[in-house]
Order: sequence, then structure tokens, then C-alpha cells
Amino acid sequence: MNPFEKIFNYQLFARLHESSTITITAHERSWLKTMLAHPAASQAFQPDTLSKLQQILEPEETYDIASSLIEKAKSVEKQVYHPLLRQLRRVIASNQGVRITYQNKNGRIRSEQSGFPYKLEYSMVKREWYLLWYHLRHHSFMATRFQNILSVAKTELDDAQMQIVIAQIETILDSKKEQAVIEVVRSYNKELSRILYAFSCFEKDVEYEADTDTYRITVTFLMDDREYILSKMRFLGKRVRIVSGQELKERMLESSEKALARYGMD
Amino acid sequence: MARESFDKEIQFLRLLVLTSGAYSRQQFAERLGISVHTFDKTIKRLKDIIYTMSNELPAHQEKELTQMLRYSYYDSSDPMLLFLFRAKSLKESESMRLSLILTAIQEQALTAAELIDVCNEQLPADFPLPDEKTIRSDLKYLEEVGVICKEPGGRPFRYRIHNEIVTSLTDEELTDLYDFVDVMANTQVPSVQGYLLRDNLKKARKQAEPAAELFLYKYPFYSRILDEAHLYTLFRAIRHRRKLSFLYFSPKSGKRYTSQNTNPLFEKESSGKQELVLPLKVIYDHQYGRWYLLGNSNRLGITKYRVEGLTQIEEKESVSEDQFARKCAELEEKIQFSWLLDTGRPVKIKVRFYHPEGGEPNFIKHRVQQQGQWGTITEENEESFVFEIIVNGTMEIRPWLRSFGSSCEVLEPAYLRREFIAEWKEIQSYYESIRENL
Repeated sequence: MNPFEKIFNYQLFARLHESSTITITAHERSWLKTMLAHPAASQAFQPDTLSKLQQILEPEETYDIASSLIEKAKSVEKQVYHPLLRQLRRVIASNQGVRITYQNKNGRIRSEQSGFPYKLEYSMVKREWYLLWYHLRHHSFMATRFQNILSVAKTELDDAQMQIVIAQIETILDSKKEQAVIEVVRSYNKELSRILYAFSCFEKDVEYEADTDTYRITVTFLMDDREYILSKMRFLGKRVRIVSGQELKERMLESSEKALARYGMD
Repeated sequence: MARESFDKEIQFLRLLVLTSGAYSRQQFAERLGISVHTFDKTIKRLKDIIYTMSNELPAHQEKELTQMLRYSYYDSSDPMLLFLFRAKSLKESESMRLSLILTAIQEQALTAAELIDVCNEQLPADFPLPDEKTIRSDLKYLEEVGVICKEPGGRPFRYRIHNEIVTSLTDEELTDLYDFVDVMANTQVPSVQGYLLRDNLKKARKQAEPAAELFLYKYPFYSRILDEAHLYTLFRAIRHRRKLSFLYFSPKSGKRYTSQNTNPLFEKESSGKQELVLPLKVIYDHQYGRWYLLGNSNRLGITKYRVEGLTQIEEKESVSEDQFARKCAELEEKIQFSWLLDTGRPVKIKVRFYHPEGGEPNFIKHRVQQQGQWGTITEENEESFVFEIIVNGTMEIRPWLRSFGSSCEVLEPAYLRREFIAEWKEIQSYYESIRENL
């Protein structure tokens, strides 16, 4: 299979787009057939949809990828799909509110809270789904694991109210943004590729100072992800140093001191 | 004619995405091993693809390519590097003709003769009119890639578009399919075919409701799809037990690409290494989002390559089933205890993880159970637990252990414990100066 087929060509794609012509290749159908064998498929479709798709795809080839592909250092897949996904995506698409009962981080149950569902987020690290939503009474932005949602029902939300809520969410997300500047310690420049790969999953800009042969990475992230940035920093160890971002610097100092204390080195 | 290669574009995009605007034109070109002129030409070509795809007019949107490809989490719904796979060049007359054919048979099944009439009627005057042979070869190609199929019945064959997976579904079912494809393409590997299908389904759904992007994936190694360009070549060679030859650029060598000169007079010495290898396994590393090829070479035994360093890949002779099985078993045994792909000597590692303080939920233990691969928890008390694992060498597991910070104490082997102490001392020294300001 050649991933660079003529049929995928950009000019052709644009032309077909204009005439709303849909062209699905055998490659795409084979990929789909392979994916339908994943246990997630049974949660993604109604049983008759799934069997209809399987029937249509029956003549297609399946990839035998499993015998030649090995995935390493993958987190255990807690879930790829979740039964709530289909329900919640429809609530969000119809611009409705929700009444939700959930368990918070400390195990306490919050009953029948009114909220506006914003987006559904999958954590590639924790391998599970979260509902991002706006708590109407507390005016706060929430991220609740699907696993901790006990019940959820659709409620009406008028258009004007929704516009206000969306604006508020955007303000909150903006105010949560922070930046840190991370410098690659020069003697590790030969590992640059690895270091840049480690940060390639973030919003970032890189600066190169040719005179001193120094690389600096400016990472933009949400406050709530500070811990994740710190774990990436510790992951890379002495190869990188935070040069701007006071709180992160303090945390790195604290982390190194506490670690040394574990080894009786304080 | 040589098959069009996309090595340059792939290397180009990778460097662009990884270094996000760090280099000037000269610096960039130098690192890729191309001229500034080629650099400019490649930028122009890639921009042209993006503009065509998004129907944006260059005049209104004169942006730097780096800015166009800057990853932004809350606008990240479309896989931005996918356009690479739409870079195959096509003559304008051909793209015009193919789109006419496809659009026409989307309405109703037609014969080759009827399609010639369609082209004669609808092709703009300045395009050459296709003869029957051309149309037949177009149909053959479209049938081969599975976009169209023949209707049952004898000659003359009637062709129709092959998209039942869209047309036989209700709007509701199409929504479920779109979601499934989106989720699987984003969370599983390989993804490129899924992303291409997603583009198609998006188009199909547009007719029903405006597709709002509802799903976010945090944090994805989105540049992983660049290496998928080579993936099927590797899989095919493995399936056919065929050796591969390629020019390999180790990511550590600095240079990423060298142009394939057809005129020997201009041949420069390249810094890549010519390799001949029997491919055995492809490894995807979730820690960095990188792909590797593992194989066997007569000279070196087990060999490992970063897929990003492979250029000018060519299939060579095949080996016997028996030889392949032997080499594969040898490799499998060697990587059984690889955290990633280290084939060094197995070491038993023993570490103590500390539970979080203050009655917080035990995220440390969760993480260890989720990411600790085949390691096991051997002892546990109220404060901590002991985790043991046998791995090949200590190099690859080290970053993971270190990422736990003070929640992880290495117990064995003693040298690893000493090295961790030294490393934490060094990290501490980076930040010591801030203590005075605290």
C-alpha cells in the first residue's frame, strides 16, 4: 500500500470537495475493518450499525499489523471508548446543558449540579475520558472523569445564557495559560532530537542562539498541567533547565532536595 | 520513471515541527543538507498544498509555514501534518478528468463510453480531450485503489462509486462512525488511513449538520504520522521476508537528508550510511512518539534504526521462511525485557515508591500500575511500596523512574542508586541560586 496515492492529491481533493463527492479507498476501509476488531467498537455503535459495517467491510483485506508491530512503554489502556461518549457528544452538539451527579477527587458525591458541557477530552497518558464542563452556580471550569460521573441528564439552556457561558469559558482558559522557558543544557545538544520530541506534544516555540549554540524552548500550557510539565522535566533530568517560570523552578529545587533526602543526602 | 519520493518533504516537516521557528533559512537548509533555493521551493510547494486544501487565498493569509503548523491545543482537532500525504503530484488535466469521472458516477453508474461523453461535454476548452484508452486506464486505477467498482452484469461494464460505508448509514449512524474513526485515529497507531477516512466522513456529515469538534486528545505526539509514510513499505517487506536497502541518517549525525543526484558530476559525498537489512519488527515508542525499525544484517546481527532516518528505501532479495523465522525468534528473545528496544544484558531493578502525603488519592500507585509494563509490586505498607522489574540495561527505564521525582527511590542495583544521587545533585545545582531569593 502506498500512502501517497494520486487519489489523495490535494488538488483533486479540493475539486471533489466542491462537488461533495466522497471517495473512500480500499486502504481506508481496511484500516476501518482492522479497527472494528478492537473491543472499543462494541461501545461505539448500536449493535445493528456495527453488524452492518462489518458486513459491508467483509470483502476487504485486513492488515496483519499485529505480527510486525510492537508498541512499547504504552500506558495500560483503561478505556478507549466509554458508554457516556455517545450520549455526551450529542448533548454538546445540540448546545444543551446538563444536570450531573459525580464524585469529586476526594470521593465526595455532588448531586444534580447544573452545568454546560464544553468538550470531551481523552488523556493519552491516563488513557481515559474526561468531561470538560462549566459549573453554572460556581462559575468554574471543571474536568470530571467519565468514570466518576454517576448520572447525567440533558437540560434546556437558552441561547443567550449559552453565549455568556462560552465567553466565560474562554476567559477562564485564557487566564489559566502559563509559559515557561526551558533551556537545553549545552553539553546535551547532541540529544536535541530526543529532547525536542519529548516536548513535541505541547504548544511550543523554539529559539536558537547561534553565538552560544543554545536552544530555548518556550512551552505554553494550562496551569492544571503544571505537574505534567514538571514530570517531563524530571524525565529529561539534567539535560534541561527551566530558565523562566519561578514556580516551576522552585518546584524543581524542592523535588531535587526531597529526592536527595530519600537517599539520606540532605 | 522513478517513483516520486517524499523523503525531502518528510524530513523538512519534521525539522520544522520539532524546532518550531528556531532556525533561519540558511541554518535550516544547512541542517537538512539542501540549498537555500531548494528550501524556498519546498516551502512554496507545502504552502500551496495547505492553501489549496483550506481554500485560503495566499494574498489574504501570508503566514509563515511555521506559524501555520504551530500546534495549538484547543484548535488541534484536525491533524495538521496530514497534508503531507496529499502531496503526490498530479497533472492538472488528470485531476480535472478524475474529478469529472468521480462526480459523474456518484450520481449514477456509467460505462466508459458514457464517461468519455461526460468529459467531452464538461472539460474546459483548453484541456485536451481524453481518448478511450486514457479513460479506461483512469477507471482501472480508480478501481484498483477501491474508490469505484463495477456493477454486476456483463459488458459494457458500468462503474459506480464505492462508498456504501457512507451511503448505507443514517445520519445518526454516520455520527457514530465519524466519532469512532476520530477516536481510533487519535488514540491508536497507525493513524494516517484513519485520518484520511475522517476527512471523507467529515465531508459526508457536512451535508447533514455542521461538524463541531468535540473531542480533544491530551497530549498527542502529532508528528508521529510523518513516519507512517514509510510504515507500509516496512510492513510489506516484513510480510514478504524481503531485505531492504536504504540510506540511513542517524538523528545524531546532524544532517537529515541528502538530495538524490542523478547527475554523477554533481554528486556530493553524503553523510548517510548505505544499509542492507532484513526487516523483522517495527516498534512504536509511546514515551517519545517515535518509530523504530529492528532488523538483522549479516554483518552486524540485530540492528536498530529510527524510522525518521530512513531515506531512499528499496526492496531487495527475499530470504527463506526458515531464515526469517530464526532471525525473528532471536530478536524476540532479545527484546523480551526491553523497556523500549535495548538488547543489552538484563538487570533486576528494585525501587521504592512513596505514596502521596496527606491522604491524597494514590496517583503514584495508579501510574506505576498503568505504565510499569511487566514490573510487579512486591511489598507494600502504609508509606510506600516496592516495585521490581527485569529490564535490558538501565538506560531506557531511567527517565521514567526519574520522572517520579522524590516519590521514587532506587534501591538496586547499587550503581544505579549512586547515579541517581549524582544526577539529583546536578539538577539541584541548576536551581540553587533561587533559594537565596526565597
